[in-house]
Amino acid sequence: MASFLAKRLTLMIVTMLCASFVVFAVSEFAPGSVARRTLGPYATQQQVDLLSERMHANDPLPLRYEHWLGVLVGAIPDPLENPANGLNFTDPRGAQYFGNFGYSTLYKLPVNDVMWTRLGHTAVLAGIAFALIVPLSMLFGILSGLKEGGVLDRSLSVICITFTSIPEFASGVFLVTLFVILWPIFPGTSPLDTNGGGGWSIASQMVLPVAVLVLYDFGYVARMIRVSMIGVMEKPYIRTAILKGLSPRQVILGHALRNAMIAPFTVLLLQLNFLISGVVVTEMVFAYPGFGRMLLDASMFGDIATLEAATLVTVFVAVVTQFLGDLGYMLLNPRIRVR
Amino acid sequence: MSKDSQSSEHPHIPVLVEELKTGAISRRHFLRTATLLGLSAVAAYTLSGVANPFIDEAEAADALPKGGHLRIGMRCMEIKSPHQADFAERSNVIRQVCEFLTFTGNDNITRPYLLERWEVSDDLKTWTLHIRKNVKWHSGRPLTADDVVWNLKRVCDPAVGSSTLGLFTGYLVQEYDTGEKDASGKPKKSSRLWSDKAIEKVDDSTVRLNAFAPQIAVPEHLFHYAMFIIDPAEKGVFGPGSNGTGPFELTEFTVGKGAKYKARKDYWGTGPYLDTFEFIDLGDNPGASISAMASKQVDGLSEADAVQVNAMKRLPHVQPYGVLTSQTGVARMRVDHKILGDKRVRQAMRLAIDRQKIITTSLLGAGIPAEDHHVAPVHPEYAALPKYGRDIVKAKKLLAEAGYPNGFEIDMVTRPDPIWELNTVQALAEQFKDIGVKVNIKPLPSAQYWEVWTKVPFSLTGWGHRPLGIMTLALAYRSNAAWNESGYSNPEFDALLDQADGILDPKKRSIVMAKIEALMQDDGPLVQPFWRTFSTVMDKKVKGFSVHPSQYIFANQYAVTA
Repeated sequence: MASFLAKRLTLMIVTMLCASFVVFAVSEFAPGSVARRTLGPYATQQQVDLLSERMHANDPLPLRYEHWLGVLVGAIPDPLENPANGLNFTDPRGAQYFGNFGYSTLYKLPVNDVMWTRLGHTAVLAGIAFALIVPLSMLFGILSGLKEGGVLDRSLSVICITFTSIPEFASGVFLVTLFVILWPIFPGTSPLDTNGGGGWSIASQMVLPVAVLVLYDFGYVARMIRVSMIGVMEKPYIRTAILKGLSPRQVILGHALRNAMIAPFTVLLLQLNFLISGVVVTEMVFAYPGFGRMLLDASMFGDIATLEAATLVTVFVAVVTQFLGDLGYMLLNPRIRVR
Repeated sequence: MSKDSQSSEHPHIPVLVEELKTGAISRRHFLRTATLLGLSAVAAYTLSGVANPFIDEAEAADALPKGGHLRIGMRCMEIKSPHQADFAERSNVIRQVCEFLTFTGNDNITRPYLLERWEVSDDLKTWTLHIRKNVKWHSGRPLTADDVVWNLKRVCDPAVGSSTLGLFTGYLVQEYDTGEKDASGKPKKSSRLWSDKAIEKVDDSTVRLNAFAPQIAVPEHLFHYAMFIIDPAEKGVFGPGSNGTGPFELTEFTVGKGAKYKARKDYWGTGPYLDTFEFIDLGDNPGASISAMASKQVDGLSEADAVQVNAMKRLPHVQPYGVLTSQTGVARMRVDHKILGDKRVRQAMRLAIDRQKIITTSLLGAGIPAEDHHVAPVHPEYAALPKYGRDIVKAKKLLAEAGYPNGFEIDMVTRPDPIWELNTVQALAEQFKDIGVKVNIKPLPSAQYWEVWTKVPFSLTGWGHRPLGIMTLALAYRSNAAWNESGYSNPEFDALLDQADGILDPKKRSIVMAKIEALMQDDGPLVQPFWRTFSTVMDKKVKGFSVHPSQYIFANQYAVTA
């Protein structure tokens, strides 16, 4: 187990390093300098050059990557926070500490002050959505998979495919038209602020974004569970269980479900990745101050420090969910444990 | 008018009064020029015989309810130094705390604001600015000439990165050779005040600008969105708790989320009527703004395009507002391009478009036709020229003469946001097809677009409202101007512009402006389809709101009913 954990940890670090370098390299080829974006369209070239120099934006790519890595592990102080630059970038934690993601050129704040709040907001949204997606998709998947081709299977399949096919922005607009304009029982945006939210409670602000995510995602997972369930229901041990007189409930819960969940388990965990980093459309539609919107704004602005930090977080979530998937496999399937 | 102010009256003002009486100039010309020459707006309105809007405003202000909280939806991007403010949104966040020396109203008339009054010499080179004596910073310290001098000098430092530098270039600021060479071996240039005495303190409440060239638009330049008066002690840094002379104190600011303000009790000027005020960031999705208005999560928007306004018109609590501006989109052509460099090609492009159809399709009717010279009917110096419409036959003939009888193919760069810019490019491309010009549309995200906007051969650029036509002409078309995106260089145009800058008499200036406009229509680097109507929406409970053509928000003028 220890060597398994060590391997996984090493793999995670290598993946993170590769991903972070790829983001740096890709940003290098994106047109437009951070200094220009910071100063705006009407600044003269001379003003842009001056700021580029102060931000070390003209240093070669490997040097900038090395600086970024050094700052992250706390080996060197963040050069942008040097008062001599005149950029007024200050981090209350200091310029040199482990886990220093640097200074956001977009938000004019340390990345640690921006990212974790945004991630927290998205985690709440994702958590509620996930808590609804799992039981709903299991219910739909199992009921569909019990009798392939039956009326129930066909009906549920139509519902699942329909909802999965509607993009988030379309279902968002549809729900807003229905529940904000025609029958105004929910707020149209989710600033997560009761004052700014116009007196709407935080809970009411969560309803529509969560609904959009659940509608978009549950059908896909349900389809995966359905296929797996159909496969399991055709296995000889299920036939044996039925023939030895077990009730349908005992057959499903005692024999079928556990085996049917092995493949969909990974799919379910992959949804966590999507819910953390892929909810940008939902966040845009409902003006939700989350991680996805931050990622979009940072990439449009060329805020490399925020982009890198966000990349590390998403890679971390991906690797951890994979790891949990492997552990889950072991629990669900004893044969994997033996190997 | 007091005896003192009469004694310092500009000698041209009696001439203007006489010309107004004889009908030689319009009331608008009179109001604008007389106020620029230092006559108070109240006196100018009285002399012009126009109903004094100040009396109505004062009466309306007395009737406004006091207290309450107002929320306006607006993008809240990062704010840096107020002197670097580059868009109306960023400037709006700062404007509630820091103020300008002058104020250009919705009527395009510029008045003193932090200034009590100004005087200008006969040659329009010496401007004496008298600072209002009852203005205090939040900290309690009075506003002084030292503060104003520090601010004016700071924006002239290229290292600060203020766009005001561009406006001051040509009369207070000069370019010079640094003696260094850039990577391509060209000499590096920089800018500096033309003289140590260019901006000087006269006494504790008086500042003098000594220009090397005549300039009539100084008061309007002092209302430029980055020309805030900030506390020198804060060294250009702005954020919650920053000192200012304005009506509110910024208590909280989060990029992408919003800005919160608390009203000052000891504000020197009008209002504030609200207790607290807030900008809420609703992101880039236009649908979110509509949703927020529908569920009353905001009381208004800083801007709403025609599509949004149409969607919200049916909401019973929403009041739409609109004002015709000099905001426009310009399809500009690099004059150093092989094909577009031929003025016959540029003329053909201008004749190829149906302006009204473009307004209908890309602005949903919210605009009026423009005339390819970038001077708007709302500008006081606008000279009306004979209109011309779409003429495909003539356009094709011009193309044939230029050596392109079958047209040509060209890339046109634009931005997908705001959507009216992309819509306009699509409409233009369709119409250019009729003269054989195939346009390949190349949309670029805003940040990337602003990297190349002065370099690409053919693009559409959105230009904001400015109170004077000559301001935009000087910024965008004068030879070697910083924002000269088309590379246009015409000594005759430059000379006419210099001439217009220094002419006081509106009648004489109008003659010069007509020459400039005709020159632009003949030789200029642009196809300009329209002038936009700037629109927004507010909840009907918001009182005292009127839409400013520059998209400026002045929360001290607004109130809310319970």
